[in-house]
Amino acid sequence: MVENSQPLWISFIVGFIVLNVLLVGMAYMTWAERKVIALMQDRIGPNRTGPFGLLQPIADGVKLLGKEDLIPKFADKRIFVIAPLISFVTAPLAALVIPFGDTITIFGEEINLYVTDLNVGVLYMLAVASVGVYGIILGGYSSANRYSLLGGLRSAAQVISYEIVQGLSLVGVFILAGSMSLVQIVNDQRRTLELFDSGIGIPNWYIFYQPIGFIVFLIAAVAETNRAPFDLPEAETELISGFHTEYSGFRFSFYFLAEYINMIVISLLAATLFLGGIDGPIADGFWWLLIKASIFLFFYIWLRATLPRFRFDQLMGIAWKVLLPLVLLNVLITGFVRLAFNDQIF
Amino acid sequence: MSPEVLVFDILAVLAVISGIGVVVARNPVHSAVALVVTFVNLAGIFVMLRAEFLGVVQIIVYTGAILVLVLFVIMLVDPDDLPEFHAGRPLQRVFGLLIGLMLLGEVAAAVLTRTAVGQTGPWTADEVERAGGNVQVLGQFLYSGYVLPIQAIAVVLLVGTIGALVLARPDEAPSRQRQKVTSTISLGHPRGADGQFLEPLPLPSGATASTRVIKREDMRGGIVVTKDADAYTRQPAWQVEYGPESTRTPRQSDGSGTSGTGAAPREG
Repeated sequence: MVENSQPLWISFIVGFIVLNVLLVGMAYMTWAERKVIALMQDRIGPNRTGPFGLLQPIADGVKLLGKEDLIPKFADKRIFVIAPLISFVTAPLAALVIPFGDTITIFGEEINLYVTDLNVGVLYMLAVASVGVYGIILGGYSSANRYSLLGGLRSAAQVISYEIVQGLSLVGVFILAGSMSLVQIVNDQRRTLELFDSGIGIPNWYIFYQPIGFIVFLIAAVAETNRAPFDLPEAETELISGFHTEYSGFRFSFYFLAEYINMIVISLLAATLFLGGIDGPIADGFWWLLIKASIFLFFYIWLRATLPRFRFDQLMGIAWKVLLPLVLLNVLITGFVRLAFNDQIF
Repeated sequence: MSPEVLVFDILAVLAVISGIGVVVARNPVHSAVALVVTFVNLAGIFVMLRAEFLGVVQIIVYTGAILVLVLFVIMLVDPDDLPEFHAGRPLQRVFGLLIGLMLLGEVAAAVLTRTAVGQTGPWTADEVERAGGNVQVLGQFLYSGYVLPIQAIAVVLLVGTIGALVLARPDEAPSRQRQKVTSTISLGHPRGADGQFLEPLPLPSGATASTRVIKREDMRGGIVVTKDADAYTRQPAWQVEYGPESTRTPRQSDGSGTSGTGAAPREG
């Protein structure tokens, strides 16, 4: 149920701020990625534009705007134009349900630091992500290019497979929290769990209850966002960038933006679902969420610098033969434990 | 007009327009995209009706999974190979019209007897709120009153999965043992891909009397290296050996002595 506890215009302002923070975060995610990978490979990375190359993303953006906008002659022009927009519009939409904090009071107005509290918040994020796939598939189809088409097909198969795994890996969390609202899931994790009446308190984060779910979610998230080592839809060595081969200039940058925003959003989601979100040892707030999300983002970069790309049959084999049975087992065990020890430990 | 009605009108009009687009579009991919728009608008209407779960599941299942698979298939097929999109036998058209009208009649009957009259079911918004929310009510309903249908659906899905496996299975299991691979060094190798000797090419006109065919059993197991493919076609190098005892013509040897061993080179 949509909570109507605050006027609509405040929700719009919060949403506007979240969108802009995401865009800036995306720009500096590209900078951080280049810098971190450079350091891992004993290079220097961007260092010419501004101090530590900090103005590099802006320069890149301006450069992309100045590029010629090419549409292939035999492209399906309408779909070619729409496809990057689908990716770009759906990517930040998923961030609307992430709680960035409690209710605060500014100028006498009660402001929730989340845009909306859907009672199916997590499913909503999965749904938005599944619509975002259309950008990739249609972009690959409409380019009138075999490589793009192959990239689109790979992406379709990959995302459908890993969507199932990702959704099921979250079922354990739903069972524990008894809710699919992200606000309630965070509130449930903010209790301190006391270990055997010994006085030692540990945070009630779901990563401790759901280690399998967490690891599987992490793997599926990398596959869902088409990042290395699962970046087969855009494998440059075999598909010449796959689905966005024919895109140039600002249309290409929409795909680029969408990919990085997806990474940020899914990192925020992982931090919220498994690491307690805004919950921290002292002074709960959105800074804890940002710190946890940046751990995941660093993990993304680390993976890209470390692991070679999977083969496509290996990719599908992992999803269907390893991860899916694992998460089903996880759901079974979680459900059983929840039923057997109802309200005793949770 | 309240904003909710306005939003509903926008969603409904968009859904109907894109629904028409599904039928009218010439390109199957455009059809599918129009269907995506319809589904998203329907999900929006579900959300307006305070059934967020239904709306989100509509997007995840239909938009995110089923239509992606449909697009997957459409994209694999060349549009020129598809059957004519708006044609059909007259009989098919008549039946299509009839079934469409029947469906329309059913929906109209449901709308006219229930919604238009103003008769509401037991689950009003307040009732749902009291029971803990939309998801909870739906879950309790499905897994208490409708356990048997759900399990039947599960069995149907399982049958579908097994059927797909059977259809996708190759006719015979791939044999594990690999055939001994004949090593080919040049394009002029006298053996084909199956390891059998090729029929010798006709000799060029000038090379008849003084040439001798190397007996094929001499070459068994050996590797004959020619310079390149052109050397093979112009002058079969292994057939040409200049020597004093060359008496037989290649045609004769081809017909009588060597072809028997050439057909079964692996014996001995």
